[in-house]
Amino acid sequence: MQMFSETQPSSQLEALLLQTAAGDREAFASLYDRTSPSVYGLALSYVRSGPDAEDVTQDTFVKVWDNAPAYRPQGKPLAWILTIAKNLALMCLRSREKSTQLPPEDWASLAMDAPAVTPEDRQVLKAALYALPQQEQQILLLHAVSGLKHREIAALLELPLPTVLSKYHRGLKKLKTKLEGDAVYE
Amino acid sequence: MNEQDLMQKLETAVTHATPNQLDGILSRCQERKGTVIPMTNNQPKKHWLRYAVAACLSLVLIGAAAGGFLLHQARTVTSVVSLDVNPSIQLQVNSSEKVLQVQALNEEAREVLADMPLEGTHLNVAVNAIVGSLLQHGYLDSISSAILISVEDQDQQRAAKLQQELTDQVGAALLNQQSQASILSQTLTSDQALQDQAAQNNVSLGKAALIQTIRQNGDFTFDQLAALSVEELSQMAKSQASQMPIGRDKALEIAKTHAGLTDAGLTWEVDPELDEVPPHYEVELHLGGQEYEYKIQAYTGEILSNDSRQDDDDDSAAPPTGTTDIGTEKAKSIALEAAGVTASQVQNLRVERDYDDGRLEYEIEFYVGSTEYDYVISGVDGTILQQDVEQEGGSHTTQPSTGSDIGAEKAKSIALAHAGFTASQVQNLKVEKDYDDGQLEYEVEFYAGTTEYDYTISGTDGTILKQDKEEHGGSQTTQPSAGSDIGAEKAQSIALSDAGFTASQVQNLKAEREYDDGRLEYQVEFRVNGTEYEYTISATDGAILEKDIDQD
Repeated sequence: MQMFSETQPSSQLEALLLQTAAGDREAFASLYDRTSPSVYGLALSYVRSGPDAEDVTQDTFVKVWDNAPAYRPQGKPLAWILTIAKNLALMCLRSREKSTQLPPEDWASLAMDAPAVTPEDRQVLKAALYALPQQEQQILLLHAVSGLKHREIAALLELPLPTVLSKYHRGLKKLKTKLEGDAVYE
Repeated sequence: MNEQDLMQKLETAVTHATPNQLDGILSRCQERKGTVIPMTNNQPKKHWLRYAVAACLSLVLIGAAAGGFLLHQARTVTSVVSLDVNPSIQLQVNSSEKVLQVQALNEEAREVLADMPLEGTHLNVAVNAIVGSLLQHGYLDSISSAILISVEDQDQQRAAKLQQELTDQVGAALLNQQSQASILSQTLTSDQALQDQAAQNNVSLGKAALIQTIRQNGDFTFDQLAALSVEELSQMAKSQASQMPIGRDKALEIAKTHAGLTDAGLTWEVDPELDEVPPHYEVELHLGGQEYEYKIQAYTGEILSNDSRQDDDDDSAAPPTGTTDIGTEKAKSIALEAAGVTASQVQNLRVERDYDDGRLEYEIEFYVGSTEYDYVISGVDGTILQQDVEQEGGSHTTQPSTGSDIGAEKAKSIALAHAGFTASQVQNLKVEKDYDDGQLEYEVEFYAGTTEYDYTISGTDGTILKQDKEEHGGSQTTQPSAGSDIGAEKAQSIALSDAGFTASQVQNLKAEREYDDGRLEYQVEFRVNGTEYEYTISATDGAILEKDIDQD
């Protein structure tokens, strides 16, 4: 599996974060390239609105820039960034009343229409965003896109580890069924 | 499609869907001027952060004129920055503030620097990393600690600029970590004699310059002063001290002797106040909920005052209750031994000393390659209270770590034999290695036809700890086992009636019985036309715990 931990060791992200702290915009851009899908995916799963997820992502990185000098190296740079994203997403949710009741077609379409999205991507996104309950979605995204370990996901989402594990497996099963079903019928 | 394919596809899809907002973000990011540090609301007040800047140190500028310029052999080196706490670290920097060389001047510094690849990085990055590591190693914890930042540069203007930037940066890092350490900073130019003296005594140029200043006031030898902390030295410089203070160790000893205490279970803090009148050391001793406070005259060793009271510190600072402390080193070695590795094989070793429910504990965390080890060791007797081993990149990687591990293959064969199959007769065979409450376990999962088998096998002796068999052929076959279980049919009917349907109106009706967080639950799923309904029903009382309705 192409996991975050293999392709982008924490130490690399940490170095980029430290360079960002020193005001290095190139390092910051590189940090953005490597971590923005994680942030966007998480934001989307919380706020369930394309435009709001973009706002949360943008605010997250501005905050990362502002707070990088205060980051203390401890080997968990991505968890640090995602915690910022999560808090901003929750703030965004609090600031508007409804949100989660929007049907997925409305809130996910922006993500689906991104220029780089292939038909296969669209099918995967539909399956992940439409067919999974929110927490299963978040857990799968955090594992797949961010490469977080189940224990780290449990810490980030403030859920017990067994819950994360069971929701992970359940979500995975559903995603698989959905995708294989689609492949047969579409 | 296996798990890896799915995860890969999901990652790709989300990456493709992520909009590129970098330009918009960059336009909102303000240029850092030197170091502009945002202070968030929850930061502590900074009243305690004491800056004693260059002026008060009034350092000599030695031989700024001809020849003997520092490190002329490395012609690209323009500045030498040194950081002194007790660890002394020296950084050679070129004109674009890139670090060319990092030197650990003593053993403590080597430990702090570990293997951090700082050469080639920007000075700010390196200093940030070093301060982070100093904090992690506990060097800047107490109010009595001080860090001395020295910038040696022939260009005094550049030196002053660097000095200011670094002071701000370190100040922010300390503030952020609620460290109460003070910062001293100075700029200097140097000569060969000073460099030689610094090198002979294993101190940085910065500390050497400070010592030089003090030596003008009295009859001191260089190495006498080199043994003092930077805070003591700066206070001596400030107060123009003309004699040697007794030192922190001596002050501590006087206090301990007076209080009749030995080292067992004792924690202490010694804070020099050499620039106060009268100059003294403040010594605080903590033992068994009792705090002893002493003021010891800094030059005569006379006890100026002493006081003892109940320790009112919070839990985290509570002293052990009448027991001894095995110490950080011992705790570390217990954890390393349990993991079967040596200190040189591990990375990112972290030790935290903590009180949990009044019990002294050490939390030890380290990596060996991509495997993370976490231990909680009793600080009293060295018992391993908790351990956790995790592979980066998902828990499905299997790698036995100790001798008492039966291994994934063996776990697989135990499960298969129990179910009465061979590996070739089953599909989707999966094994996960897991630690549950410190117990090594293997989760084995496979399908035979439409039946799913789940086993939990003890990793140490191969015992089957848990087994579960589930039919996925459409109808639900799992039977309720306990009296407090409402049963799958009841769960289905609860879900159906909530959704307003009868069983005949829905498709793909399924109920799965499972344990979530130790609670028995039913996952009921069905479809009506294009809509998927999913319910989580408590198996004990039939309550609807979660429901989710998704349009296809």
